[in-house]
Amino acid sequence: MTMKNEAMLELRHITKLYTGTVALRDVSFTVRKGEVHGLIGKNGAGKSTLVGVISGLVEPSSGEILVDGKNYNSLSPILAKKHRIAIITQEPQVVEECSVAENLFMPNYLEGRKMISWKTLNEKAQKILKEAGFDKDASMKMRDLSISERQLLLVIKACYAEDADIVIMDEVSASLSQKDCAILYRIIDDLIAKHKTVLFISHHTEELLNVCDLVTVIRDGQNVGTIQKKDLDKKRLAALIVGNEHYKEQEEEDHSDQVEEEILFHLEDFTSYGKFHNISLSLRKGEIVGLAGLRGSGRTEIMKSIVGIDPHDKGKIYIKNNEKSYAAPAQAIADGVVYIPEEREAEGLIATASIDKNLTVSILPKVSNFGLIKNTEEGSLAERLIKLLDVKAFSKKQEISQLSGGNKQKVLIGKALAATPTVCLLDEPTRGVDIEAKDSILHTINAQMRKDSCVLLSSPGVEDLIKICDRIIVLYKGQILDEFKKNEFSEQDIYRSMQGERIHLEGVPK
Amino acid sequence: MRKSTKIQLVLLDNLVWVLLAVFFVLNVLFTPAFFSTRNMMNILYQSAVVGLMVLGQGIVMMVGELDLSMEAILAFAPGATILLSQKYGLGPIVCIALTLIIGLALGWFNGMCVAKLRANSFLMTMSSQIFLRGIVLFLVPFSLANLDPVYSFLGKARIGGLQIAIIVFLLIYVIFELLSRKTVYGRRFLLTGGNRRAAFISGINTDRIMIGAFMLAGVLSALAGIITAGRQNAVSNSMGEGLVMMAFAGAILGGCSFNGGKGKPIGMLGGTLLLGMIDNALNLNSIDVNLVSATKGGLIFLTILLDQLRIRRTANIMHKENMRKLDESTQENKEES
Repeated sequence: MTMKNEAMLELRHITKLYTGTVALRDVSFTVRKGEVHGLIGKNGAGKSTLVGVISGLVEPSSGEILVDGKNYNSLSPILAKKHRIAIITQEPQVVEECSVAENLFMPNYLEGRKMISWKTLNEKAQKILKEAGFDKDASMKMRDLSISERQLLLVIKACYAEDADIVIMDEVSASLSQKDCAILYRIIDDLIAKHKTVLFISHHTEELLNVCDLVTVIRDGQNVGTIQKKDLDKKRLAALIVGNEHYKEQEEEDHSDQVEEEILFHLEDFTSYGKFHNISLSLRKGEIVGLAGLRGSGRTEIMKSIVGIDPHDKGKIYIKNNEKSYAAPAQAIADGVVYIPEEREAEGLIATASIDKNLTVSILPKVSNFGLIKNTEEGSLAERLIKLLDVKAFSKKQEISQLSGGNKQKVLIGKALAATPTVCLLDEPTRGVDIEAKDSILHTINAQMRKDSCVLLSSPGVEDLIKICDRIIVLYKGQILDEFKKNEFSEQDIYRSMQGERIHLEGVPK
Repeated sequence: MRKSTKIQLVLLDNLVWVLLAVFFVLNVLFTPAFFSTRNMMNILYQSAVVGLMVLGQGIVMMVGELDLSMEAILAFAPGATILLSQKYGLGPIVCIALTLIIGLALGWFNGMCVAKLRANSFLMTMSSQIFLRGIVLFLVPFSLANLDPVYSFLGKARIGGLQIAIIVFLLIYVIFELLSRKTVYGRRFLLTGGNRRAAFISGINTDRIMIGAFMLAGVLSALAGIITAGRQNAVSNSMGEGLVMMAFAGAILGGCSFNGGKGKPIGMLGGTLLLGMIDNALNLNSIDVNLVSATKGGLIFLTILLDQLRIRRTANIMHKENMRKLDESTQENKEES
């Protein structure tokens, strides 16, 4: 048996149940020594749960894990460490006030010593940085490093300072600059030369095909295939990720006949340097337009800049042909432009307040007379919305903090409905909710929200957009790359377009 | 929801009034000379100043901040006014207005710094507190006596045996309870405190609400200053010392939280009265003054424990109600099939 075929990490029939949902369904796969194993799947496919299981943060409901030939029901962070499994997550966690060298050797510093010798520590760190090809001074404070450099440093820490045998890179390249990405790929080559193992998770098919020896695709909590690189191309990979046949969902009615000619909302040359550039788009009355793009493509940033949460540098906003500019959301709401944020807990809802109070936050002037709240009107409005959205609660007076995630999200949608907006900007309204709530929310947007207004909708999954949108605009690195009309919707094409591939060759506005 | 569950929840929501009732009954039974009109009036009169401070602090806590400078404003506003009046010969009505305006202005300054400069409210108001108290100690001699009777009217006067201060203090609580329940402005305080970012994104001018909270705290402190001065018919430079801690105690007893988004004036009134009643009862039982203070400390600790218990108990009730509903629906399904 050659070294290369030895199994380092093996998952056998792993299933993970959360209340109401199955996150992983009988997943098995093997990562062998000396290989770069890719892992890809859509948002919500179960990737992060799987990574959690391997790194010991999530306990599987059933199944077993073999590490280095040893058999476990579940791992723990301590066990993972013992078997020299290191994980690098998407958002770099560092101690900003400490030096690069300290961060590199935290928390054990140099083993076998009671006192820390800063000189040895710095020398060792500098040696490691040099080996990795990372051109920085080890005595620098961590806070002086960019996000990309911090992320890279954590990679170096796992690969060299901790000398892990299995390195899990969870969408690490997402926050890396091009230069740092090149260093990352070199480090991976270096690891393989040392017969180490890498599990590489990414959303970018092209990158995956360049870096990995073989790729495992997760879809709907299941392993739909582990395939050698030589048998793969981008198209085949996209097909596997998206799936050829859909499980039967509730079909959404086509309401595109409600779209009228009148343009309610128009963006022209909208730019915030470094975030998004030259965005021009128009929404018609009754229209739902999808905004597709990977994380960091500028979806959220555009919406936040429109309503004045963040500033923009250039460009114009037109509401019903009147030029507008907003310094705070209050001004936008007064004009009927409502933004529903993706961060439900942090930015969307007020957890200590009751359902009815949350529903009417944005429209208090409408349910009041000379500053006095009309309680009956507020109450009946709240009851109507609770019924319409099927929010499961005892009464409208129940605190938001006592509701489940899906019901919270429904209340958030209700907030937008209550405002009867002219323009509705919905940022990932289906994020992190169960399938039932998701269908109900999409149905509400499709059937109710488009009436007399227009909706700009972003979603982590293309399939949600395809279900209810009349058009889909694809963003790539802060710019509009492509646009799909309803008769051109294809999950695979849109997915490829999100990766930066142009599907339509002509006729797309620059 | 079942009726008994509802009652339980209402009682848990108004825990301070339950405590107050229990404590009241205990005292009626065991404390000599407690249950008389005179003593009841005495408790209310003693609570007037603390009550205004509790209300001011409670409002600031509702929006998720705190104000340490209230007790210094209590002394500074009337102190500065009386000094100016002695120099320029201002009329008493002007003096009252001026005192309140100084309170508002100091609150506005605190609020601006916290809302616009994003200063930490603890540090910000601590600096105001030390600064203002220092100025008061420097400018105002030990005491400025012989106030105009109109100026001391609020603190001293009576209508048919009932002190004006009691009427003013209770009336203000009624007004604020109505404000917080019925008006858009009042509603926005709790929403801002519950989640400032979400409130801002939902279209609330959160900076204005925060500044408003500090201004209310300032003007209520100034009013408490007028009453204190009227009561002793003099402005002294040590007025209000230590009161800010009692203000926190009352507000927390009344259901406020340092995280913001919680509290209502009616609860704060309960907190104030409980503090006043404990003070009074221990005095009547001739307990040493220092022990009275220690008891209040213990009481605040008890409240913190009770609050945790209350949250757990509420969650428990909700959980049971959930299970009951689930059972009902499954049974219905069975019957249908």
